[in-house]
Amino acid sequence: MTTTSPAGAPAVNPLRKGLASDRIADPCNIVFFGASGDLVKRMLMPAMWNLRLEGILPTSFGIIGFSRTEYTDDQFRDEMRKAVEQFSRNPPKDPLWSDFAKHVFYVSGDFDDDNCFRELREALERNDKELGTGGNRLFYLSTPPSVFGKIIDKLDKDQLGPRDNKAGWTRVVVEKPFGTDLDSARALQAEVEKVFDEKQVYRIDHYLGKEPVQDIMALRFANVIFEPIWNRNYVDSVQITAAETVGVEQRGGYYDNAGALRDMIQNHVMNLLALVAMEPPVSADADSIRDEKFKVLRAVRPIEPARVSLDTARGQYDAGAIAGKAVPAYRDEPDVRPDSNTETYAAVKLWVDNWRWADVPFYLRSGKRLARKMSEIAIRFKPIPHRLFGEAGEQLENNVLVMKIQPEEGISLRINAKVPGPKMHLRAVSMDFNYGTGFGVVSAPAYERLIGDAMRGDATLFTRWDAVERAWVIVMPILERWQSTEDQSFPNYNAGSQGPQAADRMLAMDDRDWRKI
Amino acid sequence: MSLESSTVSSSLEAIRGELSRAKLSTSTLNFIVWIDDAARRDWVLERAAMLHEKHPSLMLVFDHTGTHAGEATVTTAPRGAQETFAIQGERVDVDVSGAGAESVVGYVSALCSPSVPTVMWWTGFAESSREIFYALLPFVQTLVFDSSGGARDESALCKLVGFHREHPDVVLHDLAWMRLLPWQDMIAAFFDGDPDLLAEVYTIRKLHIASGSDSEAFYLAGWLASRLGWKATGRNAFTDGRGETVAFERKREGEMRRVQSICLDSETSWYHGEVTDDPGVVRVWVEGQHAREPRLFPLKAIDNASLLERAVLEPGNDELFETALRSAGTLIGG
Repeated sequence: MTTTSPAGAPAVNPLRKGLASDRIADPCNIVFFGASGDLVKRMLMPAMWNLRLEGILPTSFGIIGFSRTEYTDDQFRDEMRKAVEQFSRNPPKDPLWSDFAKHVFYVSGDFDDDNCFRELREALERNDKELGTGGNRLFYLSTPPSVFGKIIDKLDKDQLGPRDNKAGWTRVVVEKPFGTDLDSARALQAEVEKVFDEKQVYRIDHYLGKEPVQDIMALRFANVIFEPIWNRNYVDSVQITAAETVGVEQRGGYYDNAGALRDMIQNHVMNLLALVAMEPPVSADADSIRDEKFKVLRAVRPIEPARVSLDTARGQYDAGAIAGKAVPAYRDEPDVRPDSNTETYAAVKLWVDNWRWADVPFYLRSGKRLARKMSEIAIRFKPIPHRLFGEAGEQLENNVLVMKIQPEEGISLRINAKVPGPKMHLRAVSMDFNYGTGFGVVSAPAYERLIGDAMRGDATLFTRWDAVERAWVIVMPILERWQSTEDQSFPNYNAGSQGPQAADRMLAMDDRDWRKI
Repeated sequence: MSLESSTVSSSLEAIRGELSRAKLSTSTLNFIVWIDDAARRDWVLERAAMLHEKHPSLMLVFDHTGTHAGEATVTTAPRGAQETFAIQGERVDVDVSGAGAESVVGYVSALCSPSVPTVMWWTGFAESSREIFYALLPFVQTLVFDSSGGARDESALCKLVGFHREHPDVVLHDLAWMRLLPWQDMIAAFFDGDPDLLAEVYTIRKLHIASGSDSEAFYLAGWLASRLGWKATGRNAFTDGRGETVAFERKREGEMRRVQSICLDSETSWYHGEVTDDPGVVRVWVEGQHAREPRLFPLKAIDNASLLERAVLEPGNDELFETALRSAGTLIGG
């Protein structure tokens, strides 16, 4: 049978052209390594279910869970149903769930067991034949980072890598953290690139899937009014905050070996810095954007070892109260060493050495058990050059543009306005735009967007190796200093507070202060 | 947030007076709703209000049903000095039963903001409203109809075909067409992936559609015809690019505004889709050479409020729709 139209057109489905849903992914199998873990239950399987309901999953798809826990296919399906019931914005509903569950399978085994990978290969081949998944494979590593390299190696050795897949595409999604320092990241990358080309690797940072993070690009490059003032001539400083109220929850073992610098600053917060500081890309394709992100990270000056104590601050939370509820000190959390020197709060001052940002400080901070959950980027503009309003102008505030990422999603611009009345009284007021009310649309969880993109082969919102490597280069002097010196003041901030005084002192030296959390 | 409503006379001065008392307003669009069928009035208002709640807008409801003669109701955000709120929208319901085109145009030009787009949902097809419709047209950037909203037959679709022929530049959306997206997806999915299946799409010999109203059947047939190069040779047949006949059978069955089932017969296989006992779920399967086990698909976001929202968020011409509309027009001889 011919595979072209009667007119000899290329073999594309003519019924797909122009449909609003033409971004449906290719038929494919998705393999979740670490399938019995928290991430699959809380995020990944609910995301798959919602993608199914949204019509973004292809008609022919297979989901294969792989982990050590012993499950049959049916037991795994039952577990996933419970997880979706608990964590999905759309609960499982029959008969659709039953139809979805028919495409879910499970392989039990160790990540270094050849037999299990052989079983996985057979399951993939069976799905290709019976479900029509076309040889396309997306491997999702939702395991502890320590086994990333091992799994990638096994994929290759057991003929599951791209080299042995002639029928379709093979991609791998790698969860953060990508390495624990520069050397380990390079070692992991060496393992990855033995098997996968860079275009087949999707390093996920779920922050990038959040709608307000994507809107940073829209705000900057879809409006003419911001670009002329988006530089050192008008910007006084930039503050990027990722504050959490939660502690380490069930991740004490992992977190105690990571800390806030590795867990948040090196990836999430550095990605926000790149988006806010980068030059306009030549187009909106993945590599144009990622080229610009890398260029700006290359311009970030790593802190000299001698300045680490001046340009950074670290903290660890003590017991305190969050929303009126008593919470324990970090050192009393499960799986945390009682004498731990791990930071649960990190603040860093960075400089971007390029034409646009010379002499503008970027203040980055992230911490756990702070007063409020809040992620935002605040651009503080310079003061007005001349005070026109005499005494009334003495209390004028600098203009501030805030891009709110979570929990609120929106944009706020602080301006000065005259208080109505016969006298010239000035007061700062906020102009607020909120996504929920402005567009009446609730943002889909970030993982839904990102898994859908990975299935479609759109890497725009994933981090390229050069940017990951550069982010490690930037944080390494801090990491080395912090690892080699114990902070005797730990714990140095109360849970539920604004963070350690050391961070306040860091900004006070620049005659500035942090925005209130 | 609670809104405040007050009823005043339908004079423009009274309405503007009420609006000016509002504390603040934020608008993303002007949303005009025309109602001339008393039986559908509440149904239309309920759906329009859903859109208005989600998208801050000036909603201007023209009620031509004679329900509240001579009155206007103005609804705004709270006006109390101490109150705070996050979202604002204004709504003006005006009875225009006795009004002529000139006064209706007067409301639009005086009340609508010129700096945001104007979307008009025209819910009626009464001949008596024709003059007002054409008078409002120059103020509107996007026009929304529902050709199967009020009748099962093809009469409204015929009018729409005629209107589009006269005004091809007007950005037009028909909710009857927009409701079909999940069906289009399912039909397209029959032929995804495997190159052999793709070849099948050019060998369709018969198309059968059962639907509660005629617009859906004509639109689906028109869409397939426009995508596959079929030419209508009458109300019940096409010829394809190779000169082969494609029979078109349709049956009026099931709920209004809903497709009940479809079947495409190719030279080798039968491609089926049918609504299950759950009206939100469709079972699809294939018999014959390319047989496939039944699968289930959700009929997602086909409620009218969601469709209206899509129409608002897609402000440009929908080329796929316009092609299908012209093709459906050829089929029904409109």
